Amino acid sequence: MATHQQPFFSNQTLLSTDIPSIEKLAQQPIEAIYASTNRILNLSITLCVVMIALLIKYQSFIEISVSTEEVMINTVWVIAAFSLSFTFYKAFADVRKFYALREQDISFTSGVIFKKTVSQPILRIQHVELKRGPIDRKIGLANLQVFSAGGAMHTFEIPGLKLDDAESIRQFILSHKDANHHG
Amino acid sequence: MDSQQEFLSEQEGQAASSSADVKQWQRISPIAIVYFMVKFVYGLLGNVVYLAPAILIGYKEVLANPHIWLPVGLAAVVLLLLATFLSFYFFQYRLTNDHIEIRSGVFAKKHINLPFTRIQNVKLEQPIFYRPFGFTCLQLDTAGSAKQEAKVVALKVDFAEQVKKQILAAHKAKLIITDEAELENEQIISPADNEILLNKRSLKDLIIHGITNNRTWIFLGVLAPFFENIANYVVLFFNDLGIDIEKLLTFADKPWWQVGLYVLTLTFICMLAVTLFSIAGSIISFYGYTLSKVADRYIRRSGLLTKHEVTMRLARLQMVVRQQDWLDVLLNRMNLKFEQSNANMQNIQPGAHNNKIIVPSVKPDECQALIDDVYPQNQMMNLSYQGISKHFLIRNIVYILLPIFSLLVSFFIVVEKVNVLAFIVPLFAVLLLMVFCRWLRWGFALDKHFIYIRKGMFGVDYYCFPRYKVQQTRFKQSWFLQRKQLATVSFVLASGAQDIPFIPQNIAYQLIDNALFEVESSRKSWM
Repeated sequence: MATHQQPFFSNQTLLSTDIPSIEKLAQQPIEAIYASTNRILNLSITLCVVMIALLIKYQSFIEISVSTEEVMINTVWVIAAFSLSFTFYKAFADVRKFYALREQDISFTSGVIFKKTVSQPILRIQHVELKRGPIDRKIGLANLQVFSAGGAMHTFEIPGLKLDDAESIRQFILSHKDANHHG
Repeated sequence: MDSQQEFLSEQEGQAASSSADVKQWQRISPIAIVYFMVKFVYGLLGNVVYLAPAILIGYKEVLANPHIWLPVGLAAVVLLLLATFLSFYFFQYRLTNDHIEIRSGVFAKKHINLPFTRIQNVKLEQPIFYRPFGFTCLQLDTAGSAKQEAKVVALKVDFAEQVKKQILAAHKAKLIITDEAELENEQIISPADNEILLNKRSLKDLIIHGITNNRTWIFLGVLAPFFENIANYVVLFFNDLGIDIEKLLTFADKPWWQVGLYVLTLTFICMLAVTLFSIAGSIISFYGYTLSKVADRYIRRSGLLTKHEVTMRLARLQMVVRQQDWLDVLLNRMNLKFEQSNANMQNIQPGAHNNKIIVPSVKPDECQALIDDVYPQNQMMNLSYQGISKHFLIRNIVYILLPIFSLLVSFFIVVEKVNVLAFIVPLFAVLLLMVFCRWLRWGFALDKHFIYIRKGMFGVDYYCFPRYKVQQTRFKQSWFLQRKQLATVSFVLASGAQDIPFIPQNIAYQLIDNALFEVESSRKSWM
């Protein structure tokens, strides 16, 4: 047994100086407009909810019993409070999203309290998708989705990329795969 | 035996010619009608929950007016026969230059064209009613979506074997499999001569497996349509014995010790029943279990009612899992699982375990022999595992369990229901013990090729996967972990994600860096 205890990490320490580390990634922030748009969007949704609640309260077309009204108004305030704190949290979270492109893999770092760095070797990518909602299209952003055999739960995703950047990353991934297949 | 073989080949006609090439559209054997019918009835029984009210109301109505409902019933039966006949009639297949094409569907037509090279997995499935006639279903899996999957419903066993060989041969042209599949009298799926038997499970092993692993659900799945009748029958049975269950279960007028005794007895009876069901389930799914090997392919055959055959190529294997529940630890048995990609998880049927090759309740030496056969260089049981940080305990106990516990305790003291504490304190003790055991078990080890993870609670599980099979890595760290220079690492494989929590940050980085390096530099395919 004792002989087996020794090789623990010995092989790795030899190599670890040569191996590039994800500890020192060249992190690039995603576009700033992503965070600001999200902020406005979240805020306006919150306002919308409150507005609807107020409208229902002060309208005079439909009779609502006092108890229902009370319950409804309270629920709406709770939802509003949640959505406001969510907006507040997102304001911090959205500016803490970074990606890093290396020759052989892509990494995405996110999280305020719980930080997470996901690294996806390009060799294991099965296909790439650019997803653009109506708002993304308006502000010229794209969402890069990368699928591996890890399954739907582990789809690698970078939001808030400039369309050109997203296209070039996609092209980079595709040509990388081509090079592998023919080389 | 010879005469039987001749008889078979006669029936097969020109289709069973040596090359198994069917250029023309071909219909399957009429026995498929039975298959379609059983499938329909199963579908109906599966929906019995929704149909139950209609049946209950309809039952009396039917008895009252047989002159109306008898013809309706007959018409339904005729319709069923017609529908199944049409399903059979429109089901056609052909094999042309390494493609298999299947046409099916009465109204909604379906045409599948699969090149042999895209077929990931060939499975033979033999329902019980096919067995006397020597038929089997040929199931073809692709790596893609579930919809692309194909099944040829009724083929002669030896013909199916030929097709299977042809498909596998297309994968690996240089792999020459002997063409004469010798049909043995008893074994329906004839093993080729170069097949090596690796493991066999006896009935005794299966009973042990049933006790240590809850396989009740397989059995219950089979019984599901009859639950209500069984419940009625049980009540009647006890009534006949002079025991009125309903009266027994009225607790109000009985002293507490009697109630306690009842509860104890009832629990015991339930446990016994569950164990018996579990044993039945284990036997249903693993009867006649064999694991064998042809070249780089591992083949699992088992099943009492429906015989399943699962084939896995070594390259498709993602991870080896050696699993031991607490009862397994006591009996010194373990379950060995060879996990493949779970891309087509959706089509797993209960009891089939399509994507895993599981070896139920093996002995330690057999288990090690099998793991060594798959990964000769592995050192799963020889390495010393490095445990995770004690902050795992602190986080779970001090920051999560203790606050909840003290809140609950103070709440119940304030509302003056101190007797509730008699439940809460032992519960808390058990939870503490569970967290502690979890921490004690969780560890990892590395060698040149593999990453090993050990975890569990009262039992212990070992996971082993080659580094180059990693699909994606995740490095996770919260503020609290960062202060302690700790991190959690998660490796995503095609068979699922594996976590190693609360390890030193630098080791976490090293683990990820090495895994990525191995994947990217070796350029080995994961399948």
